[in-house]
Amino acid sequence: MSTQKKFSQTLLLTVLGLFCMAIMLFPLYWVIVSSLKNTVELFRSPPTLFPQQIDWSPYIANFVQNQDMLHYMGNSLQIAVGTMLLSLLLGTPIAYGLARLPVGGKNVFLLAFLVAQMFPSIMLALPLFVMFTRIGLMNTLLAVILAITTRTLPFAVLVLRPFFLSLPRELEDAAFIDGCGLWGSFYRIILPLSRPGLLTVAVLTFLMGWSDFLFPLAFISDDTKRPLTLGLYKFISEYGTRWNDLMAVSTVAALPIILVFMFAQRYVTSGLVAGAVKD
Amino acid sequence: MSMTMIPPSQVPKTSVAHHKRRRRARKVVGYYLFVLPATLFLIIFLLYPICTMLLFSFEQVNVGGLLTGDTPFVGLENYRTVLSDPVFRSSVGSSLLFTIASLVFQFGIGFLLALLFQRRLPLVGLMRGSVMIAWMLPIVVSGTIFKWMLQSDSGIINYALQSIGVIHTPIHWLSEPKIAIWGVIIANIWIGIPFNMSLLLAGLQSISPTLYEAATVDGANSFRRLLHITLPLMRSTSLIVLMLGFIYTLNVFDLIYVITGGGPVNATEVMPLYAYNLAFVQIDLGSGSAVAALMFLLLFVVSTIYLVLIRREETA
Repeated sequence: MSTQKKFSQTLLLTVLGLFCMAIMLFPLYWVIVSSLKNTVELFRSPPTLFPQQIDWSPYIANFVQNQDMLHYMGNSLQIAVGTMLLSLLLGTPIAYGLARLPVGGKNVFLLAFLVAQMFPSIMLALPLFVMFTRIGLMNTLLAVILAITTRTLPFAVLVLRPFFLSLPRELEDAAFIDGCGLWGSFYRIILPLSRPGLLTVAVLTFLMGWSDFLFPLAFISDDTKRPLTLGLYKFISEYGTRWNDLMAVSTVAALPIILVFMFAQRYVTSGLVAGAVKD
Repeated sequence: MSMTMIPPSQVPKTSVAHHKRRRRARKVVGYYLFVLPATLFLIIFLLYPICTMLLFSFEQVNVGGLLTGDTPFVGLENYRTVLSDPVFRSSVGSSLLFTIASLVFQFGIGFLLALLFQRRLPLVGLMRGSVMIAWMLPIVVSGTIFKWMLQSDSGIINYALQSIGVIHTPIHWLSEPKIAIWGVIIANIWIGIPFNMSLLLAGLQSISPTLYEAATVDGANSFRRLLHITLPLMRSTSLIVLMLGFIYTLNVFDLIYVITGGGPVNATEVMPLYAYNLAFVQIDLGSGSAVAALMFLLLFVVSTIYLVLIRREETA
C-alpha cells in the first residue's frame, strides 16, 4: 500500500473514531449544556447546541439557597467512603491470601466470587431488608454500606489478586528471614508495592458506593439519610418538568466520575476490564 | 532461643526438615487467617441472605411476620400466585425483549468500535478512555439524561430524527406502551457499549499479529482476514461477553425505574421491577422472593448453556 493511501486511510479512520467518541459523549455534554440554559432557551426549537446566555440559577437554587442537595451529597460521600474502606479492609487480605495459598479450595473461592458478582442486587435487597429490619439497622447508612460491599468485595478480590500474584515471592522470603511475620511482610512489603492496584480498587469502589441506587431505595426512608442518587430521583418525581434543575443536580452527581476520568482514567479502565473477566 | 545457640552444622538433619515442615504448615494456617474476615462477611451478608430468600419463597412474609418472625410455610403457593399473574407473564416477555435487543446492539456496536479502536490511530487512547465514561456514570444520572433526551416535544432525539428526515411526527418514546420499552433499550445500549467494547478490545489485542502478517503474505485482504482469523478467534471472548451481558442486562433495575417506573401500564415492568413492587410496595416478600428465585433459575440455565458451549469450544 502506498504511503499516501495509508495516510488518507488513517485520517479517515481517525475522523470516524472521533465522531463515534463525540456521539458517545454527547448525552453527557447535553446534560451539562441543558443545566446552563434558562427555561426559555431550554425548550426552544431548534435547540441551541451551546447556551447563548449562561444561566447559573439552577445551581444557585439547588446548592446554595436550598441546602437539601448538599446534605444528600454528604450522605453519598459517607456511603462512598465507607464502601471503599470496608472493601479495601476486607478485600486486600483475602486477595493476598488467595494469591499465596496452596491450591486447596482456592478455585472454589474464585468461582464463588465470580458467581457472587452476578447475583441481581434485587435478590439481595429483599432478604437484607428483612435482616436489617430485625436487627434494627433500617434507615442507617451502615445498612447501605454493608449491602453495597457485598457487591464491591468480590470485584475488589478479582482485581487485586492478579496484582499480588505478579509480585515475586523472593521479596517476602527476604522479609521472613529478616524476622517479619506474615502480617508484617504483608503490611510493609506487599501493600506499598501494590499501590496501583489498591488505587484502582479504591477509586472504583468509591464510585460504586457513590452511584448506588437500589440499596438506599430499599433501606432508607428518612429524608435526612438520603444519598444524592435518591435525592435526584425524588426530584424527578416531584418536579418532573423542571428540567434545568434536574440537569444541574445530575451534573453535580456525575462530577466525581468526570473528575476521575480526567485525572485517574488509566487506573479505572484497566481495573474494569480485569474485574470482569479474570478467572 | 536455645535453637540459636547450636551451630547449624550440629543440628540433626531430620529436625531441620521437621522444623521446616512445621513452619510451612503455620504459614498455610496464617494465610487462611487472611482469607477469614472477608469470607465471614460474605457468609453473613451474601450467602445467608440468599438462602433465606429461597426459603421466603415458600413462606408467607408480610409486614407483621417481618417483625415477629412469624412466617408460616405455604409450600408452592407463592409460585402459583406469581405464575398465574398476567403482569408476571408480561414482565418475563419485557425482560427477554429488553435483554436480547440491548445485547444485540451493544455487542454489535461494541465490536465495531473495538475493531476501530484496536488500530494505531492518533488520539486512540483518548477515544477508548472517554467512551468508558458512559458506563461509569451513576445509572440514575444516565436515566435522567435519557428521560430528557427522549421527551417527545422538546427532546433532542426526536429533533435529530426529524431534521435528518427519518420521522415526520415526534415519537412518544416514553408514553406509548408499545414504544416505551424501546426508549429504555436505547438508554441501556448507550450504557452497555463501553463494557462490550473494552472486553472485546482486550480479546482482539490478544490475537497474535503474526497471524495477520502471514495471511497478508498469502494474499488475504482485510475482509478475509476479519472473516477467517478475527471472528473464529474471538468466539470464546464473544461468548463470555454475551453471557456476562445477559446476566447484567437481565438484572437492570435502576435505569427503568428512573426512566419509566415500569409504566406506561406495566409496559416496561421487567422482572426485577416486578419483584421490587411485590416486595417493597405490596409488602409481599414471599411472592417477591419467588420472582427473584425464578430469575435466579433463568440465570442458572443461561450460565449452564454457556459452560456447555465453552467446553465444546475447548474440546473442538
